[in-house]
Amino acid sequence: MIEVQHVKMVYPNGVGALNDISVSIEQSEFVFIVGASGAGKSTLIRLIGREFLPSSGSIRVFGKEITRLRRREVSMFRRSIGVVFQDFRLLDNHSIFDNVAFAMQVVGATPREVRRRVPESLEMVGLTGKAKMKPHELSGGEQQRVCLARAIINQPSLIIADEPTGNLDPKTSMEIMELLRTINIRGTTVMMATHDSEIVNKMKQRVIRLADGKIERDEQRGVYSHYAH
Amino acid sequence: MLIRNLLYFIKEAFRSICRNGWMSFASIAVVAVTLFILGSFMLLNINVEHVTNDIKDQVEVIVYVDEELDSSELDQLRITLVQLPKVEQVRFVSKEDALVNLKEQLGELMAGYEEQGRNPLRDSFEIRTIIPEDIPAVAVELQNIPGIARVDYGTDVVDKLFSFTGMVKWMGLAFMGGLAFTAMFLIANTIKLTVMARSKEIKIMKWVGATEWFIRWPFVIEGVVLGTIGALIPALILNYLYGAAVTWTQINLFFLPLVPPNAILGQLIKILLILGTTIGGLGSLLSMRRFLKA
Repeated sequence: MIEVQHVKMVYPNGVGALNDISVSIEQSEFVFIVGASGAGKSTLIRLIGREFLPSSGSIRVFGKEITRLRRREVSMFRRSIGVVFQDFRLLDNHSIFDNVAFAMQVVGATPREVRRRVPESLEMVGLTGKAKMKPHELSGGEQQRVCLARAIINQPSLIIADEPTGNLDPKTSMEIMELLRTINIRGTTVMMATHDSEIVNKMKQRVIRLADGKIERDEQRGVYSHYAH
Repeated sequence: MLIRNLLYFIKEAFRSICRNGWMSFASIAVVAVTLFILGSFMLLNINVEHVTNDIKDQVEVIVYVDEELDSSELDQLRITLVQLPKVEQVRFVSKEDALVNLKEQLGELMAGYEEQGRNPLRDSFEIRTIIPEDIPAVAVELQNIPGIARVDYGTDVVDKLFSFTGMVKWMGLAFMGGLAFTAMFLIANTIKLTVMARSKEIKIMKWVGATEWFIRWPFVIEGVVLGTIGALIPALILNYLYGAAVTWTQINLFFLPLVPPNAILGQLIKILLILGTTIGGLGSLLSMRRFLKA
């Protein structure tokens, strides 16, 4: 599903983030990208979301070389993935319903479809009854659930998440992880960057550890670190 | 564009205007104030030009005829004058009529002449040109026509008048041009601020896969709506104020010939509305480019 080959990333300011990374991720996998701050985890996630282009190398998602997409094709590609951010990125002055509905309206869903599927999605993330509220009226965990509801509303085959639990307390973080796991069990590939060792160790999924822009370790049912922390 | 999308864009534009109440209010206020000032100066400029044209229209060349010409030669001269390409109107003033006019103007000072029964004046033609500014050139041309003794158009006064009215016209145009540019700059910047305040929204739209036009349309419609409302306000105020000003002038300053409201207000309102909608729509479109590329 995702084929990253010999990807190098040097930011315009000269800072190198990734150095010859190659990794392959299969359909329905749950993959953690871990590492210290500045190891390149967010860069890898954002490259796969086609936020920017690598300095060199190839990234194929769903069989398509996404480094060669035209601007309009980037929009189409984004519709096939769900994205979860650390800072939720919700539209502050839109209701919860509108925040989720927006992702459907973008793909041209009919108002009827929107009215049917948004409540389903909100129910799945446990936010029934909060559709009319505004993001600032919700807790951090609830806002992240809205972000998740938005990410899954178009039933994507891939969800990329950049530190989705970074702003949450441990209990809320585990609730979000359970939701992500449920989504993954239904067949969606989940790729998540995190530095939360507790979560990684509990979930026992594939772990790719980055250090200084290189893959240090890639293990099935891995743990955050083999060293005490 | 699908009808459904169009409805969505229009709905989103109006919802966004309500959601961002203060920014919408600020945009409308800036458009309204700048277009009000621009509109006021347009009216002022049109009227200054109207008044100066009125003065210029009164400028004429007086051609004094040789005393020896008989009536058929006079008639021939009149035909020659009428046929000059730049001439609009030729009026014959006989020396008798001229003397009557002079007596009316000078009154008692002419008493001595009346007693002697003499008329020292000459027959003359009063000539107006199609374009008042052509008077000096026509005067030179007239001097070379046989049968004409002297040409007079008050050279100094007329030349000064024309250079003054020309200056007023160009200054007015330059000022309006500057004002229009400032208005556009101010409005475009306000819209840019509105868009900047919503750059996060644009980024999120991009992340969920919205095409660039899908993102643009609601903003462009919003800009057009805000620009139209912002233009309608000064248009209505100027419509009312100018009507009142013309009525007041007709009563209190009847010698000042202002342009009648129905002759210019329709055009002015059209210009303000076109400016408002265009600046609103284009301003949004251009302000978004940076955020869409990011």
